[in-house]
Amino acid sequence: MHELLTEFANKFHYYGYFAIMMIGLYAMIAKTNLLKKCIGLGIFQTAIMLFYVSIGAKEGAGIPILDPAVGTADPAAYANPLPQVLMLTAIVVSVATLGVALALVQNIHRDHGTIEEDEILKGLRGK
Amino acid sequence: MTAQLPILTIAPLLFGAFAVTAGRFLYRRANYALAALALAAAFFASVLLAVQTLTQGPAVYFLGGWPPPVGISYVADPLSALMLAFVSGAALATFLASKAEIETSYPLKNSAFYALFLLAVAGHMGIVITGDAFNLYVLIEVAALSGYAILAQGRERAMLASLNYLFVGSLGASLYLLGVGYLYIMTGSLNMADLSGIIGQMIPGGLSGSTALAAAWGVILAGLLVKMGLFPFHSWLPAAYSFSAAPAAALVAPLTTKVMAYVLVRMIISLFTPDIAWSVPAMNTLAVVLATAAILYGSFCALAQRSLRKMLCFILLAEVGYMVGGAFLGNRAGLTGTIYHIFADLLMTLCLFLAAANIERGTGGRFSDMGGFFRRMPVTGAALVLGAASMIGVPPFCGFFSKWYLLTGAVAAGSYAFAGALVVSSLVNAVLFFRIFEIGFFGTAASPADPADPANPAEETGHGHAEHVPFFRDEMSPVRLAPLCLVALSLVVMGLMTGQIVRLVVDPILPPGLG
Repeated sequence: MHELLTEFANKFHYYGYFAIMMIGLYAMIAKTNLLKKCIGLGIFQTAIMLFYVSIGAKEGAGIPILDPAVGTADPAAYANPLPQVLMLTAIVVSVATLGVALALVQNIHRDHGTIEEDEILKGLRGK
Repeated sequence: MTAQLPILTIAPLLFGAFAVTAGRFLYRRANYALAALALAAAFFASVLLAVQTLTQGPAVYFLGGWPPPVGISYVADPLSALMLAFVSGAALATFLASKAEIETSYPLKNSAFYALFLLAVAGHMGIVITGDAFNLYVLIEVAALSGYAILAQGRERAMLASLNYLFVGSLGASLYLLGVGYLYIMTGSLNMADLSGIIGQMIPGGLSGSTALAAAWGVILAGLLVKMGLFPFHSWLPAAYSFSAAPAAALVAPLTTKVMAYVLVRMIISLFTPDIAWSVPAMNTLAVVLATAAILYGSFCALAQRSLRKMLCFILLAEVGYMVGGAFLGNRAGLTGTIYHIFADLLMTLCLFLAAANIERGTGGRFSDMGGFFRRMPVTGAALVLGAASMIGVPPFCGFFSKWYLLTGAVAAGSYAFAGALVVSSLVNAVLFFRIFEIGFFGTAASPADPADPANPAEETGHGHAEHVPFFRDEMSPVRLAPLCLVALSLVVMGLMTGQIVRLVVDPILPPGLG
């Protein structure tokens, strides 16, 4: 039991990101409201960002901005900046994705008067 | 100049996209010419790059002058250079063939469509040439986002279909990103050449040496298969491609699935190397089983369709199965077949979708409206016959040779189910296209030409039997036919050049020891 808990405590961020990711996936699959699906997609992508940033973290390390007192002599004093930089790009991508998705949802609402997927499909079949 | 060629293939498209967006407010009429110029420049640079790569060997371009592993590199080897030429050529052909279509399908939004079109092509070309695993993710999203936007314009279901495509596509790209994260944890690098070296040293015996790397490959593979629309993850594809306006489908359908298959091949050959990528037998078996299921499912669903474009979408699903299956047969013939089929299928799909766009415009595109279309649109009909013959796998066409390699590989690997599925799919394709030929030759053209086009002089004579319909009644203008005919003829040319393509493009990038 103790080993199991240690294992969990050492790797808790993996379990955390995975749980959040599955919540997002559940929302994307199970919800019929298109806006909730967008939110699910956002949660899914955020979980991956969390995963990336967490792998760059080190114990006792600060933010990766050059500190004049430390200099570049001690890399252990800084968190790994590369995952953070990558995630800045990924955040931009996810904002753009969400923007396109919301624009589509807005147009769907204008055309069909609802954003519930089953009602839209019912309306399309009815015609 | 020649050292800068790798970036010159992409740069005109990016600048063109900005110029078209700016030109919208300045001088709207120049936009079409500007976009066509950007595409032509990209095509020209790609062809030059392909010639240079084939004569002088591979070239690597460091973006911003930063050498790898720190910077992003663009790698032009024979495979990527030829793929660039195919992608940009396909985009140029689609663009030139669908000028009138774009103007009617996207009224008042021409400039936006041109900009998105250029961005989509730039994204796909970037995916092909980049040598950086994270840059690949960003470019997948660039290509996909512009694709969602242009596919959303169309019939009333197009928005919903495009939104569903967006959800599934983002999911696939996110899975790829997750896999790259695991690669980064284990290796500390994102450059593909660098990654390949580190992975080779770390697990020379195969993926059983490292659970994290096995997970990385599994998650990346899952992401790519979702983006490709392999059988269980396919539901977005037919809807997104069949409800949109014809030019968007003719651009995105040949490019997206093929470029994703290219990424799969790139991952197997250049990132993990075949020995390591194929080291988990269960994964290979699963991929081949899914591919077999995709081929059978796509072929039989295509039989049930009542409109030309929808039928082509389901054939596309079966073609995805060809490429994935060949990549996981685990032998040289299978992988050669997959690489060759990426090129062949790009041309075949392009030919058929362009022909379908013409037929849709001339007749409406439902089988019931297409009666006698060979008489009404003989040139389009001839191109459709060439595309169909290649899709069925008639010998001098390129479709035959990829099937031949894939069948050889399947028999060598003992995957008789996959070999059987390939044969069945060819037979079903023959049934599908001969049904269309029957409608085209013997069906009667009862409906008037194009109800949306009252200027058509033949409209009054349109009622009656097929023999009363004048030749060329509904044929499109030469501007639309020339690219289509070129693409259709290139199917034969590529088929005749199979030996050279395999020798110059496929053999140099496959590891020499691969059996």
